[in-house]
Amino acid sequence: MRVLVVEDEKKTASFVRKALQAESFAVDVVANGTDALFAAASTPFDAIILDIMLPGRDGLSVLRQLRERKNSTPVLLLSARGEVNERVEGLNAGADDYLPKPFELAELVARVRALTRRGGESKSSVLSVADLKLDTVTHKAQRSGKEIELTMREYRLLEFLMRSAGRPCGRMMILEKVWDYNFDPGTNLVDVYIRRLREKIDADFEPKLLQTVRGSGYVLREVP
Amino acid sequence: MKIRTRLTWWYAGILVVSLLVMGVGTFQEISEQLRHDHRNRPEGHALDEAGEMIFQVGLPAVILGLIGGWWLTRRALTPVSKLTDAVEKIHEKNLGEKIPRTNNGDELDRLTEVFNTMTARLDNSFQRVREFTLHASHELKTPLTILCGEIETALRDESLSQSERERLLSQLDEVRRLSKIVDGLTLLAKADAGQIALKPEPLPFDELARDNFADLQILAEPQGIKVELEFCEEISVRGDRHRLRQLLLNLADNAVIYNQPHGRVTMSLRRAENLAEFKIANTGTGIPPEILPRVFDRFFRGDPAHESTIDGCGLGLSIAQWIVSAHNGTIQIESVPSEITIVTVRLPLEKTAANTA
Repeated sequence: MRVLVVEDEKKTASFVRKALQAESFAVDVVANGTDALFAAASTPFDAIILDIMLPGRDGLSVLRQLRERKNSTPVLLLSARGEVNERVEGLNAGADDYLPKPFELAELVARVRALTRRGGESKSSVLSVADLKLDTVTHKAQRSGKEIELTMREYRLLEFLMRSAGRPCGRMMILEKVWDYNFDPGTNLVDVYIRRLREKIDADFEPKLLQTVRGSGYVLREVP
Repeated sequence: MKIRTRLTWWYAGILVVSLLVMGVGTFQEISEQLRHDHRNRPEGHALDEAGEMIFQVGLPAVILGLIGGWWLTRRALTPVSKLTDAVEKIHEKNLGEKIPRTNNGDELDRLTEVFNTMTARLDNSFQRVREFTLHASHELKTPLTILCGEIETALRDESLSQSERERLLSQLDEVRRLSKIVDGLTLLAKADAGQIALKPEPLPFDELARDNFADLQILAEPQGIKVELEFCEEISVRGDRHRLRQLLLNLADNAVIYNQPHGRVTMSLRRAENLAEFKIANTGTGIPPEILPRVFDRFFRGDPAHESTIDGCGLGLSIAQWIVSAHNGTIQIESVPSEITIVTVRLPLEKTAANTA
C-alpha cells in the first residue's frame, strides 16, 4: 500500500509519515499542490492525504484537478479551518473523507486504513468476527449461538466496528459514523456505549473481542 | 419629565406672566383715560374693561401661543427622538450600521456625525478583537496538531517504561483538552464574526429530544442517575439539525456532569403558546443566585472547586447560548441550590399544518 502525503508543515508531515510507515504503508511526502499533481500522475497511490491549506495551489483545487483527470484515488482532506461548510465542499469536490486539525494520529491512521480497504467490504448480510455474528437485515446479534439483545444505537455501533474489524477506530470516526455528529461533543458518550457493548458481547465470553487501542479508539478483533 | 413638556410649561408660565403685565398695563392705561374723561365715573369700571380685554384678546392669544409653542418644541425635538430611536437600536452586532444624516449642517446633524464616527471606531475595535481570537485559534491548531502527533508517535515506542507511558498519556489528555478549548473558541469567534451559516430545515424536535434522551440514559447510567422523559409532544421547529443536536447533547451532558451520584434528570418537551419549550432539570448542587447571570460567560467557572474535578472546556454554555440565539430562541437557567437546576430552551415553532392545528 502506497500513500501520498501532501502537507507543507514539516513536523506534521514527518510524524504522519512515521505513523503510516509503522503500519507498513509506503509513504511519499510532497509539500505543495503542483508536486502533488505531478506525483499522483506518475505513481499509482492507494490513498492521498491532502492538506487544504497549502502554499500556492490549495488542497481543494488539487483535488478538483485530480478528479478532472479521472484520478479516483481515495483522498482524505486535512484542514485547520474545520468548518461544516468546508467539509461539505470537500466531499462535493470528490474527497472521500475529511479530518479537521488538530487531529489524533490514531484517528488519521484508522481513516487511511478504512480508505485503502474501501470496496473490499463483505457483501454478505451476516457479518462475523470469531464466534460473534451480526445479521444486518434482522439486526440480531449472537455469540456462540446465544442471542444478544441490542438497542438501535448499540446495533449501529457494533455494525460499524464489525465492518471495520481488525482496524482501530478513533472516537471521532465512531461519533461521525454511528451518531452522525460532525462535531466533537466533548462527552464520553463513545466510551460509555463501548462499555455497555462490552458487557453484552464480551463479558460472558472468551476471548475478548472488543479492545481498547492505547491513546485513542477501539478495535474489534480476534487476536490481541 | 420630557424636555418638550418642560419647555411648554415654561413657555406657558412666561405667557401668563406677560398676560398679567399686559393686564396691569391695560388697567392702568384705561383708568388713566377714564379719570381724564369722566372724573365722576367709579374705579370699578376700568377693572371690568381691562378684564374684558384680557379675556377677549389676551387669553386667545395666550392659547394660540401655547399651541404654537407645543408645535414648535415638537418640531424642534422630533429629530432628537428620531436620533434616540436610532441609537437605541445599536448594539454589539450592528455597530457597522450608520444613522442616516440630514446633512443640513445643524447641531443635530453634527451630533449624528459624531455619533457615527464613534460607533465606527467601536466597530473597528470589536472587529479587531474578533479577528484576533479567530487568528489566535487558527494559529494554535498547527502546534496542537504537532504536539498531539509527536506524543502519539512517542507512545508507539515499545521500550517505554510504565511511568513514562503514563506521563505521556496524561500529556496527551491535556493536549486533547486544549484542542477542545481551541475548537470551542474558533466556533464562537466565527459565530461572533457572522461566519457560520446555519442550514435551517423543518425538524421534528420531538425526535431529536427522544434521540438525545437515549444518549442521556447511557451517560447517566455509570453514576446511577435516574433519568425520566416526562413529556414529549410532537413538535416541529425550523433549525440546523447538527447544531440543535449539539445543543441537546451539551445540555444532557451538563445535567449528568453537574449532578450528584444517584441524582435525577428529568427532560420534557411541550408546546407553550407559539414556542417549543424544552426543559431539562437536574438535582445537582445547583448554582448560587449571585453567579447565575454569569453562567453563559465564556470560560466562567462558578465554583473554583469544580475546576479540577469537572473536565470541560468552559465554553459549553456559551456555545449553547449561541446556538439558541441563532435559532431566534431563548435559553434560561433557574436554580435552587442543592435542590434543582432547570434549563429551559424556547424555540419558535415551524409553521406547519400540524403545529397550527
